Amino acid sequence: MNSTTASTLTAQLHAFARAITADTAPPDTDELFRPTPQGGPPRIEIYRHAYRARLTDALRENYPVLHRVQGDEAFDELAEKFIAASPSQTPSIRWFGSALPAWLAANSAQLSHPALADLARMEWALCTAFDAADDSPLTVNDLLAHAPEAWPELRFTGHPSLRLIALDWAVEPLWHALSDNPEAETAAPEAQPHHLLVSRQNDQTQWRSVEAFEADLLQAALAGESFAELCERAAATQGEQAAAAVAGHLRVWVEAGLLTA
Amino acid sequence: MYRRWRHRPEISASSSEAALAQAAPDRWPPLLEPSERPVTSIDGFGLGLRTEHYSDFRSGQPAADWLEIISENYMVPGGRPLQHLDAIRAHYPMVMHGVSLSIGSTDPLNMQYLADLKALIARVQPGWVSDHICWTGVDHANLHDLLPMPCTEAALKHMVERVQRVQDFLGQRIALENASTYVAFAGDDMNEWEFVRELAERADCWLLLDVNNVYVSARNHGFDGRRYIDALPSQRIRQIHLAGHEDLGDTLIDTHDHPICPGVFDLYAYTLDRHGWVPTMIERDDHIPPLSELLAELDQVRAIAAAAQTPHCGQDACREAA
Repeated sequence: MNSTTASTLTAQLHAFARAITADTAPPDTDELFRPTPQGGPPRIEIYRHAYRARLTDALRENYPVLHRVQGDEAFDELAEKFIAASPSQTPSIRWFGSALPAWLAANSAQLSHPALADLARMEWALCTAFDAADDSPLTVNDLLAHAPEAWPELRFTGHPSLRLIALDWAVEPLWHALSDNPEAETAAPEAQPHHLLVSRQNDQTQWRSVEAFEADLLQAALAGESFAELCERAAATQGEQAAAAVAGHLRVWVEAGLLTA
Repeated sequence: MYRRWRHRPEISASSSEAALAQAAPDRWPPLLEPSERPVTSIDGFGLGLRTEHYSDFRSGQPAADWLEIISENYMVPGGRPLQHLDAIRAHYPMVMHGVSLSIGSTDPLNMQYLADLKALIARVQPGWVSDHICWTGVDHANLHDLLPMPCTEAALKHMVERVQRVQDFLGQRIALENASTYVAFAGDDMNEWEFVRELAERADCWLLLDVNNVYVSARNHGFDGRRYIDALPSQRIRQIHLAGHEDLGDTLIDTHDHPICPGVFDLYAYTLDRHGWVPTMIERDDHIPPLSELLAELDQVRAIAAAAQTPHCGQDACREAA
């Protein structure tokens, strides 16, 4: 293709794309497209509508509880602004909205309550744990198979579905209530810095809130600290009970399928 | 497993031009007339696999001869979607249908997408892989729509080169589907059917003929859908899609949320008369009804195909071949 025809094709596609994504009145497309057989203007509005509707639906699917909290009108308004600010860059629409929690955190005026940015983080964690990679979970028997002298050097790997996220607000009750009943009356979330643990076990996505000590321990384990190092870390708050505390949490993590073999 | 057609490093957007210039024109097996084609695992009447029908397909053997999956729905790291896919694939031949290849875009081909697609092909072992004659975005922004191409010689050359690169990378012909369109470029220098025919012949690819899309575009642009059908090369047509649409009078919207209308059934019968038997499926993407309704609609398709006297293989033989 010579450069002139290539640039014509490029110009045609870019002009079409601009007409679809333009925020307000689309650019005039009468020169780009033919009129309809009835002599009407080109049907660019069909593409403009489909673009926004399809991406808004994707956000509704990935953020069902946020949608319920906001309601149709406010959610769609928020979606339109997000779509304009953060166009999709992935081939599959399944991943559209990965940037929404960060965008909401930076644009909390779009929300009826600032805690909803945390709700969005929780929903994205759940949504990505759902189809995260499979891996064989570590079992209690796997752990017990290690000789006692090997324990100090044991290190652990998180299951691909494991997400440990720091939240500023207690959004879990809101998520719980509205997941069970879309019409539920809910109180505003309270400010409460904590961690949320999300994972998938036996094909079920699960979550629970985590206390500071356990969150710190799990983060350190996932970062590659050995059992001995975890015990040293725990000793600061647990004293002589450090090893037992670490072993106890380890057992809970293993039984919840959080670690891999 | 798929045979490797040629062993060379993965194509990068910057290094592919020279390699393609040296490609021989007859890299793929010779085309056969429809009547000469061997019995393959994909024949008879299929349905698009949708999540609403997972339990039907996992708990029994509903009477679809084969299934089409949306490739992107399974281009995920793991979890339940892939478990459903594997379980259902064990009982049904499948084809893969993508919506994100963006073969007409002026952006570079997304090689990570193609690598993921190739990995899914290895898992599914589909009868074939398809996508659309369209572009989905430029400047790395994906508009997630099947946007029409200008029907120009420049666009044709651009697409032919990219189809060949994709086929080289995947090691097989792909099938490309005509999209429904609502606008036509003022700068077009050929009809859409001429564009589609030339693309298939020059790129040496298959066609997935969506009869509903021909019907929708014909009404939207004021041409006779039969002229479109007539222009296509029979031996390139690998698969037929049937679907429903929304009729707004002057404009038809390709919503895939309605039963197939009589006009599309008529054009389908015309297509089979003109081109001979082609494996056919119903594509429903919204307002998904119970599976029994789609199976009943598939029986309507069977009756029309039978009336068109088009030979096709027996369903049991097909399933065994899979």
